[in-house]
Amino acid sequence: MAGLKCRYMSYEYEIDYDTQNSYEKGLNEAFWQFLVIPEDNETQEVSYWHFENDLGERNSVSINGLGFKTVQVRSKKQVDHINFNAHFKVVKKEINPFDFELPSDLEAERAHLNSLEFKVDHEPYLRKTRFTTLPEQHRSYFEFDRSISIFENLTHLNHWTFEHLYFKTGVTDVNTPLSEIIEKRHGVCQDFTHLFCAIAKYNGVPCRYVSGYLHQGHGFFGDSQMHAWAEAFVPNVGWIGFDPTNDLLASHNHIKVCHGKDYTDCAPLKGVVYTHGANETKYSVFVKAAQQQ
Amino acid sequence: MGTAIDKTIFSSYVRKEGLFDEVFQSDGEVKSVYQKLLDLYGSRTIEDYVSLNNKAKSSFFNQGITFQVYGDKQSQEKIFPFDLFPRIIDSAEWETIEKGAIQRSLALNHFLWDVYHDKKIIKDNIVPIELLSSSPNYLHQMMDVDPPSKVYNHISGTDIIKHSDGDYYVLEDNIRCPSGVSYVICNRTALKRALFGVFNHYQTYTVTDYAENLLNLLESVKPPGVDAPVCVVITPGMFNSAYYEHSYLAKAMGVELVEGRDLFVENDFVYMKTTQGPVRVDVVYRRIDDLFIDPMEFHPDSTLGVPGLFAAYKKGNVTLANAPGTGVADDKAIYTYVPDIIKYYLGEEPILKNVHTYHCSRPDELKYVLENIKDLVIKPVDEAGGYGISIGNKLTKEEIEKVKAVVKANPRKYVAQPIMSLSVHPTYIDQKESFEQRHVDLRTFTVLGHDQQFVLKGGLTRVALKEGNLIVNSSQGGGSKDTWVLKQ
Repeated sequence: MAGLKCRYMSYEYEIDYDTQNSYEKGLNEAFWQFLVIPEDNETQEVSYWHFENDLGERNSVSINGLGFKTVQVRSKKQVDHINFNAHFKVVKKEINPFDFELPSDLEAERAHLNSLEFKVDHEPYLRKTRFTTLPEQHRSYFEFDRSISIFENLTHLNHWTFEHLYFKTGVTDVNTPLSEIIEKRHGVCQDFTHLFCAIAKYNGVPCRYVSGYLHQGHGFFGDSQMHAWAEAFVPNVGWIGFDPTNDLLASHNHIKVCHGKDYTDCAPLKGVVYTHGANETKYSVFVKAAQQQ
Repeated sequence: MGTAIDKTIFSSYVRKEGLFDEVFQSDGEVKSVYQKLLDLYGSRTIEDYVSLNNKAKSSFFNQGITFQVYGDKQSQEKIFPFDLFPRIIDSAEWETIEKGAIQRSLALNHFLWDVYHDKKIIKDNIVPIELLSSSPNYLHQMMDVDPPSKVYNHISGTDIIKHSDGDYYVLEDNIRCPSGVSYVICNRTALKRALFGVFNHYQTYTVTDYAENLLNLLESVKPPGVDAPVCVVITPGMFNSAYYEHSYLAKAMGVELVEGRDLFVENDFVYMKTTQGPVRVDVVYRRIDDLFIDPMEFHPDSTLGVPGLFAAYKKGNVTLANAPGTGVADDKAIYTYVPDIIKYYLGEEPILKNVHTYHCSRPDELKYVLENIKDLVIKPVDEAGGYGISIGNKLTKEEIEKVKAVVKANPRKYVAQPIMSLSVHPTYIDQKESFEQRHVDLRTFTVLGHDQQFVLKGGLTRVALKEGNLIVNSSQGGGSKDTWVLKQ
């Protein structure tokens, strides 16, 4: 079809991240780091950002150890709370997740995955962490099928995870071990993602945890909170996003902030506060499609 | 004023067969480098020696040169046991040690650069990938970071022993936060105070230039664009077993000793709080372990470090010495590969030998280890301070079974080595008020900077004070000796 130009649709989103943290006993000194800025990559670009905190302290943009932008706030005086708000405009290209050919030679694909060079290059995301180690007793729950491609296996895994777990808030937290999630069969997007990563890694496919925003309005799970999904490395293609909480491939609705080995690399808020009392954290996320072009 | 019952200091010294004595030849003759020393000490009685030794020890206490042992319930401050009879290393032997230590440090520095960049040595199948992927000390945050002058292991402590064959062997490399150098200097000071005249007979290199060399090093790796860098030493605090050393080094270099809470990070720059307001810090000699330096990046509940420090480092606004992530290269499982690492990067034969090491992660080697535990030393790969070491020929049958079970449960965590017979040195034993043979090793201190390579001419001779014991670490009840390196 000569002459036919491929035109990408693009979408513009406005994102609000808002958090309120209060500390019963007050703080003498504190440092907070927010990992909430959408990354600039091939499919998305931040066109505007604005940060506010109600302490009157400076919001400094920094880059963390894995290369993602953070906002740091340091309080020098006694405070008992911080309210922080971030506002972004992001332009996102439409993604066609099927924009590649499935491999014709499955043996070659597998050999590539097993090559030393590949394992060395992808070592960080083949490494099993506390949350992405598949417990021994659960290794036969989902098995890769050698007669189909890696991509197809991952798609099946995505679907299987979606079917195996029930989305339920308040039953798991950031410390719930994977074995409990598999056995009780419920959790939130973090848990879906960890399970997906664990099985992919167990099968030798590099896989990383992604934290970001999901455009709301489609009735997807995870649209008023930070969302989590996974990216798996498909040989000869690259990183592909899988959203097992919604049984989807990551699309223009998925606005990525960062990735890491698991949730611990991606926690949206980290703080060091010197206090004895309890603290309370609330946050909300709002994603709005501004316009379509 | 001696009477007939007075004993000279070596009158009851017993030499055991099969041990390599640093002072006496196998025929009982004194080695030539020690001859003058024995003439000088030999005319004294053991009582003279005891009274001098006690004076020297109390001076350690009075100066607060003490340490504490982790997990010790009474947690008493102890002085690092010390005696006034030095160890002497002649210049030819020292040359080998010095060249060997520099060679190792340089090779490990190349290795660190490589594993945090192209990982060629892994792709070329020299070092197995498992050693990276299973190492908790391999920090992905360090990928593609270029530390100033490409130096990672600014300060290395290399533990060397002399085996009964008379050759030097490296037991381990310490390139995280090696400690002990302050004892080297304090031992020398104490010996000079007690027995100044002895030094008139020996041309010994000074050890007090260490702090000067350390400061030169720190200044040489300052961030780009900084003219006169502000350096600090950061310590986990006074409860750390090496706190004395941290404070000593800061004082000797004339820089501030700080704790995490004395620093803060703003806009990716590090500042020190002072009575005159914030002062920018350019180089941090950190004596806090990697995972505690910055709660934003590593252990989130650590209050020892400085939030934001790592981001400031990665941006190049502050230098950390040693660089984060060096622990991947001094893991005892990597140790085995050091001879290959030296050949790979430097194209040289290793100057210092390695002790043969069996990896329990390899099935055939594990089998050998399990069958031969009584002839082997079993070591965990990631513990410092001599913890968790089992020496096969000292174990009962039940203990052997226990060790086997522990190793089998987690083979990657253990390596095994033949039991090396560390050389022995006459050492004054308090309880017996006499000199006896005790096993010794030597920790050398190597400093790598921008165009700077320096090995402290001396090092810390550590002594296993319990008879027959081979573990010399201070946390295991070891002592130390002043160590003299002779000029030509």
